[in-house]
Amino acid sequence: MNLKDMFKKTSGRSHYISLRNSRPEVPTGLLRKCNKCGAAIIAEDVKNGYYICPKCHGYFRVHAYRRIEMIADEGSFEEWDKEMDFVNPLDFRGYEEKIHHLKERTNLNEAVVTGKVLINGNPAVVGVCDGRFMMASMGWIVGEKIARAVERATQEKLPVIIFTCSGGARMQEGIVSLMQMAKTSAALKKHSDAGQLYVSVLTDPTTGGVTASFAMLGDIILAEPKALIGFAGPRVIEQTIGQKLPKGFQRSEFLLDHGFVDRIVEREELKDVLSQILEMHHSAGAAEVKAAFKKDEKTEDKSDAITGFENNGQAENMAEQIKDSLSAWDRVQISRKKDRPVGTDYIDALFTDFMEFHGDRYYKDDHAIVGGIAYFHGIPVTVIAQAKGKTTKENLDRNFSMPSPDGYRKALRLMKQAEKFGRPVICFVDTPGAFCGLEAEERGQGEAIARNLFELSGLKVPVLSVVIGEGGSGGALAMAVADEVWMLENAVYSVLSPEGFASILWKDSKRASEAAEVMKLTAGDLKRLGIIEQVISEPEDFDAENMEAVCEELEGRISSFLADYTAYSSEELTARRYDRFRKM
Amino acid sequence: MIGKVLIANRGEIAVRIIRACREMGIETVAVYSEADRDALHTQLADEAVCIGPAPSSESYLNMQNIISATVISGADAIHPGFGFLSENSRFAELCEQCNITFIGPKSQVIQSLGNKSEARNTMINAGVPVIPGSKDPIYNAEEGAKIADEIGYPVIVKAALGGGGKGMRVAQTPEEFVSSFNTAQKEAQMAFGDNTMYIEHFVQHPRHIEFQILADEHGNVIHLGERDCSIQRNHQKMIEESPSIALTPELREKMGDAAVKAAKAAHYTNAGTIEFLLEKNNNFYFMEMNTRIQVEHPVTEWVTGIDLIKEQIRIADGRPLSYKQEDVHITGHAIECRINAENPAKNFRPSPGTITDMYLPGGKGVRIDAAIYSGYTVPPYYDSMLAKLIVHAKNRNEAIRKMRSALGEVIIEGIDTNVDYQYEILNHPDFISGNIDIEFIENLG
Repeated sequence: MNLKDMFKKTSGRSHYISLRNSRPEVPTGLLRKCNKCGAAIIAEDVKNGYYICPKCHGYFRVHAYRRIEMIADEGSFEEWDKEMDFVNPLDFRGYEEKIHHLKERTNLNEAVVTGKVLINGNPAVVGVCDGRFMMASMGWIVGEKIARAVERATQEKLPVIIFTCSGGARMQEGIVSLMQMAKTSAALKKHSDAGQLYVSVLTDPTTGGVTASFAMLGDIILAEPKALIGFAGPRVIEQTIGQKLPKGFQRSEFLLDHGFVDRIVEREELKDVLSQILEMHHSAGAAEVKAAFKKDEKTEDKSDAITGFENNGQAENMAEQIKDSLSAWDRVQISRKKDRPVGTDYIDALFTDFMEFHGDRYYKDDHAIVGGIAYFHGIPVTVIAQAKGKTTKENLDRNFSMPSPDGYRKALRLMKQAEKFGRPVICFVDTPGAFCGLEAEERGQGEAIARNLFELSGLKVPVLSVVIGEGGSGGALAMAVADEVWMLENAVYSVLSPEGFASILWKDSKRASEAAEVMKLTAGDLKRLGIIEQVISEPEDFDAENMEAVCEELEGRISSFLADYTAYSSEELTARRYDRFRKM
Repeated sequence: MIGKVLIANRGEIAVRIIRACREMGIETVAVYSEADRDALHTQLADEAVCIGPAPSSESYLNMQNIISATVISGADAIHPGFGFLSENSRFAELCEQCNITFIGPKSQVIQSLGNKSEARNTMINAGVPVIPGSKDPIYNAEEGAKIADEIGYPVIVKAALGGGGKGMRVAQTPEEFVSSFNTAQKEAQMAFGDNTMYIEHFVQHPRHIEFQILADEHGNVIHLGERDCSIQRNHQKMIEESPSIALTPELREKMGDAAVKAAKAAHYTNAGTIEFLLEKNNNFYFMEMNTRIQVEHPVTEWVTGIDLIKEQIRIADGRPLSYKQEDVHITGHAIECRINAENPAKNFRPSPGTITDMYLPGGKGVRIDAAIYSGYTVPPYYDSMLAKLIVHAKNRNEAIRKMRSALGEVIIEGIDTNVDYQYEILNHPDFISGNIDIEFIENLG
């Protein structure tokens, strides 16, 4: 039955006489329209909800002081250089009036607010750009305030966090504006050389001279979702090249894919993520690491350091025994087994609070390598793993753990970061080999691997590499120029795959099993050859379900590795590492 | 002012409100989701405004769209019905800010009564009985036993962070207390990592008795007697009746006074309901106040002859109550059965779909509040209640017989309903004798 227009309507002559005589009226400012999805939204909900549209989850731009409220512990903000005298280096006409007008309208002194805050109790120097003030373009005062804040942070040994947002250079200040790029970058260089942490948080929109200076210089670069981030603005690019730009171009996600952003963080999580990063860094420092593991060592001395050693011996003996029952080719196949634990399994099992960081800062974020900071026994370490996937879909995403040059560059970037902050580096090696393809060659696969060997040999912090599956050639070595290299019992490590070996030497890849035997690629063989230091035994049918025993073993051994190696000075470390490879 | 009312709801209650407005000569605006284009309320109202897609979060709960629809359609008042935004103080506040008459209590009152501990304190201060319990957290059994003695057995030990029955134990006697307390505390420590406990008097086999309140803006508060809503499943009421056979006239007066006191203490205006738990020994305890019209309001309408929706509109318009307490007389007995699109044999799984054929009963003393018609498709997005069947007769026995007869006439084809299940309850000896408590359905198995 269709009811449309079937019912009689209420008579227009209302016979109810209302006592009240008021008419609805929506107060101005109560409801707003989202400029992203067009939905009507209650302004107060937006204010109380991190300035995020409750409908489309789009992010509104945030005023500087609101931003500080969002991340700072209540009442902890101490503003620096609030009042700065107006400058007009080019004597630009009308500039002063414009600034005066803006000051009145926005209640801001200039386009950036700087000062000191506590974030969940962690002190930091912050700078926050405010887009309401001439699109937060960088004039002398902006550059000066940032430079002063960074200098003071260097002096007071504090980390710096800058929320960027800018249209770029301030045209009214011409070449003086351009110089602010150099000035702020130089201040950050000094801060960095003093071993201090700088985190930049890119917000919508970050463009021009700010992108090309302090925005992109973070040790860690975070971004808000969907923020526009670029050097040239999209409109300028479109006009120049005469083409329409693809959807999502120059958005945070695009930058993440292209290796320039470590992590995209939702606004609600920002405070916690920042405080976690700060904690991971102020508890770093080589001295603390040493102290922590010295303690470990002592307690172990008392208890079962010696029996622990014997256990290791036993485990190796066991490995030797099992060895006889398995051929090298068997082990090659086991090392490639689909359900074998992968890099991310070890990260989950051995470390806590792993925070993944992305990108090589040149071209791409290679998913074949996963890296970041985590805690090992309460001490921050840098963990980098060549990561196979668990499903076909994951494997396609991770390119079956065959890293591209971008992956090695990401790994190197994280290693250099670890060096700066005195964090030990722990690598998990599991790759059939470096990715072999057109793009890999175009972007310098050889150069990327070589660079890692070169830089790793001199890295001033302890480096441990564990081959957990396939150790395929240069692709593996690029993450294994370490103080010690360990292998799981059924992992393999070789100059190239047995198939490749057979096809080069005997022109017959089918003779791979034969090749495996002569290549000496098993853990036992490599231990005898002095290529690796330790072998970790595996249970039968090793998979993510039964990896607990292996991880317990690894945990104990990593702990004593760190105790041993954090005791060395960086000179001793690099000298020992040099000798290790020198004699091979 | 009230010249045109927007009904911020759907289903039978929207239809019920539209009808009251039509009778009063007030124009109506329905709001509907994309799934409710063909719904009865959409068609029956003078105007209808689509407020969003099917999910209620995007339509019937979308405050800003409803406010916009009100302003655009020229309505000046909103009736929120029950469920959805009816007890949302933020929504009531928005209406106040926009000068829209919200047909219900003030936002501040909704908020205070919605806060459990605040409401409890208000009632304690007003002398309304609440379930006795420990004021401060308790950490050991010894301390707890003393407090349990003060409260009176049986008691229930609850974890401060509790939920889902974990960290909860009943002690019938002081002898049981220590072991109950320790077990509950251990469970709480395991489940929530916290061993903070509270103790409360355990109300055994209670009835759910609620009192209908009307309060105007001039300080007049009356009650319209009680409803016995003990027949419920998972806290969802199924059958409600008025009066309750558990109440003597003296007890009714006592509870009614308490209800009026409670409403006054909360500075309540408009129609509201005070829910009590009634123990076998006639002790009763305040549970909560519902700050809206109830599903089961027709049983009260029938035994008192008062149209609650019209009264709500008058109160919201600032008029004094049309009745004084002495004008309220309970006449006869009314029972309501909720008819839901659900399959009792399959754990009451909702059964949306198209009603292919339909016949509903009528006759003297039979009322149907429904939102369905032949050919109507019940959408899967909302509550499964299709209709309410209400009967009125001289006494309870006659009402039960009338309800049985009426249920026996209901034909709804094309979807599953709980009509037969209701019919069985109406034939259950315990129901007939009035020997019921809130565990009745649970005990049916």
